Parts: sequence; structure tokens; C-alpha cells
Amino acid sequence: MNNSMQITARFGTLHLQAESVFADGITIVSGENGAGKTSLLRCLAGLEKAQGQIIVGGQAWLDSDGGFIASPEARRIGCVWADVALLPWLSVEKNIMLGADNIAREKLKPWMSLLSEHLEIVHLLKRKTHVLSSGEAQRIALARAIYRKPAALLLDEPFSAQAPAVRQRLRKALQTIQKALNIPVIMVSHDADDAKILADQHWHMREGKLLTALSRHSPAEGDLEGLTKVVNDE
Amino acid sequence: MLASLFISLQLALVTTVILLLLAFPLAYLLAFKSFRGRTLLEVVVALPLVLPPTVLGYFVLLMIAPDSALGSAWQSVFDSSLAFSFSGMVLASVLYSLPFAVQPMQQALRAIPSNWLEMARTQGLNFKQTLLQVMLPAAKGGVLVAAALSFAHTMGEFGVVLMVGGSIPGETKVASIALFEFVEMQHQSEAWMLALILLAVSFVMLSLVYSVNRKGPNLGVAK
Repeated sequence: MNNSMQITARFGTLHLQAESVFADGITIVSGENGAGKTSLLRCLAGLEKAQGQIIVGGQAWLDSDGGFIASPEARRIGCVWADVALLPWLSVEKNIMLGADNIAREKLKPWMSLLSEHLEIVHLLKRKTHVLSSGEAQRIALARAIYRKPAALLLDEPFSAQAPAVRQRLRKALQTIQKALNIPVIMVSHDADDAKILADQHWHMREGKLLTALSRHSPAEGDLEGLTKVVNDE
Repeated sequence: MLASLFISLQLALVTTVILLLLAFPLAYLLAFKSFRGRTLLEVVVALPLVLPPTVLGYFVLLMIAPDSALGSAWQSVFDSSLAFSFSGMVLASVLYSLPFAVQPMQQALRAIPSNWLEMARTQGLNFKQTLLQVMLPAAKGGVLVAAALSFAHTMGEFGVVLMVGGSIPGETKVASIALFEFVEMQHQSEAWMLALILLAVSFVMLSLVYSVNRKGPNLGVAK
């Protein structure tokens, strides 16, 4: 399904401007610090006010002309931010299942065990959160985002705390999960390999503007690997 | 002596329960919302901190007198006077200890990392789920402090309950007033006992407050 966004927003001196039609698949967002990558994700999540339209999975998230804004809780999203925000009074497992009632938990049991294996957290599920390493905590946050089978994933450098070998395996896992859910995954990353290996689409941002939106499946729009190279050289 | 202690404990308990239920929404409003009249609300909540208890007691007494709107309504529904009754004392105590309940909870709610509240929203938690699964566990320390302070403060009040309750033995004569009367009548041993018990209650409650505060308003969960 095609998803689309056409939004503008202001954050102090940063003027965010982003327009793209994107298919379900993994979109890597690149750009320098302060280019507005995280702000873009926060607008997509509904955590910041934006003007324009967003349609994801056939659902309107934002239609400012029509005066419609879906709240973050209504967007069925899964998010991973730089701060993992695990709740310290809950076990790892309960953090992941936060908000799901017993019926949902029962139904999601097979999904949960699949997820835990792919994200290499099976051995952590019963632990308290304060004993986790930052890499482990980040994988738990990723599991929590994916657990309730969201309509979209918004990931802000979700592998930043992982060792290279783990990172490699997590990329595979993310691809598998994306295919299973068949949803758009918007992922901010500075890692050239993420773009090379994962990107079905590539957004590059500079000074708040989404400059180029390239897709692997529409070579007419440009050469994705070429762009990745350009981005890395910048 | 035991009767007055029992009344004090009962008053403190009932007041604390009512206060927690009443003060939490107020604390929530003051912690997270901006609205017209916010400053006024903060001032009104904090007033009992500086008002002489007799002044507060006097106004409450006027408010619940049999010829007042509230007093006459109470009279017609319950067929008893609100002034000089246990219920009247509860009302006065709730007002008197309001800041002790609101402020710790307000601080604890404000100290919840905004990341956690955003996480709750993006994980699709509705307001009730966020309240029960994120806010209350995170602000547990503040709720505990609010309860302990409300309880101890109500146990220790004198002017307000004397004004509103009228020191009727077995009904509205609380421990602090009984102590005063023991001293006046020079019943030294009873006065000594009662003072010691009140001291112990306050000591235990404050110890609880400080051991919670040492861990921070979020009981050490928010680092």
C-alpha cells in the first residue's frame, strides 16, 4: 500500500518540510545532526504539531486542512527513540507487553516468542531493567515497539548501541519483521551499511528539508546506491 | 483518653483517604495543565499553610452553621447538625491538610520523565492505562508522602477541630484537645502519656516521609 506525507512544521529556527510517497518497506532517513530527522519522526508519531497531510496504511493521521489530527495513541505506531524509556518497576517482559491486556497477551504469545528470538532477548525476558546493558535495553525497546503489530515503525537510530556483529543480525531481523507485518518502517540512521543493506527507500534531509526521496523499486527516480554514496561522502 | 485517641485516629484516617482521592486530580491539574485560574487554585490550595487554624476553623464554622446553605442541607438530609460533629471536623481537616496532600503528589507527577509519558502515548495506552500503569507507579513516593503528611498533620491539628468540633467528649474531642484539657486540670500522668503517643505517631510518620524523600519523589525509579 502506498503511504504519503506532505508536512511542514516549525521548531525554533528549523523549518521542517517533507513530502514523499512511500511504499511499505524500510525507509532510511539520513542527514547531518540538526537536519530535522528526529523532528520528522516526532511529527509522524504525532508528538509534535505539523501542518499538512499524512496517510499511512490507508489511515489518515493528519489532515490539517480538514482540521483532523490523530493522537499518537490512535496511530498504532511502534517507536524507538534515543532514550529507550523502559519502566524500571517492570520486568523486561512486562515492559514489552505494556498496555496489552491478558487476552491480547495470550493471542500475541507466538509472536512474542518469535520476536524475542529474532531480537536476541529471550534470556533477558525475566530480568529487571536496571541490569541491562544499553545495547540490551535498546533491543527491548525495539521489541516493545514491534510487539503490538503496529501499522508503522518509527525508529530513531535503533541499532546505535549494538556491537557490529549484533547489528548485522538485527538488520536481518528487522527485514524479516517488516516482511511479516508488511508495514512502512521509517528508520533514522547514520550507518552507511543500514542504507546499503536495508533501504527500500532513502530520504536525505538537510536543514529541515527532505531533499531526495529515492526508491529501490523505481530506478527512474535515481540510483539508490549512488545516493547512499553521496550521502556518506557529505 | 483512649476515646479521644480513637477519635483522632479515625479522623486522621478518614481525612487521609478523602484527601488522597480529592488531591490527586488537583495535583494532576497543577502538574500538567495550564488553564485560567491556575494561580488562584495554587494559592487556595496553599492557603492553609499560612492561615491561622482558628481563621480557617471560623470560616468553616460559618459555612456549616445550621442556618447556612450547606448546614441546612446537611440537616435536612441526615437529620443532624454538621457543626460540632465528626463529619464537620472531617470537612475542616480536609481543607486544613489539603496542601500537604496536593504538593508532594504534584511534585512527584512533575518529576516523571516526559519520555515515559510520550512512550505511553506512542505505545497506544489510553488515559486510564497511562494513569494506572505509568503515572501512579512512577509517583508512588509522592502519594505515600502525601498520605503520611496528611495523616500526621490531621493528628496534630488543634485550633481547627476545636473551633469546628467543639470538644464534645466521645464525639469531637480529639487527642490534642484532650491533652490540653489534661494539662489544664493538672492530670500530669495522662497528659504525659498522651503527649508521648502523639509524639510517637508524628515521629513514625515523618521517618516514613524522609525515607521516601531520600529516594526522590519517584521513589528512586526515575534516574
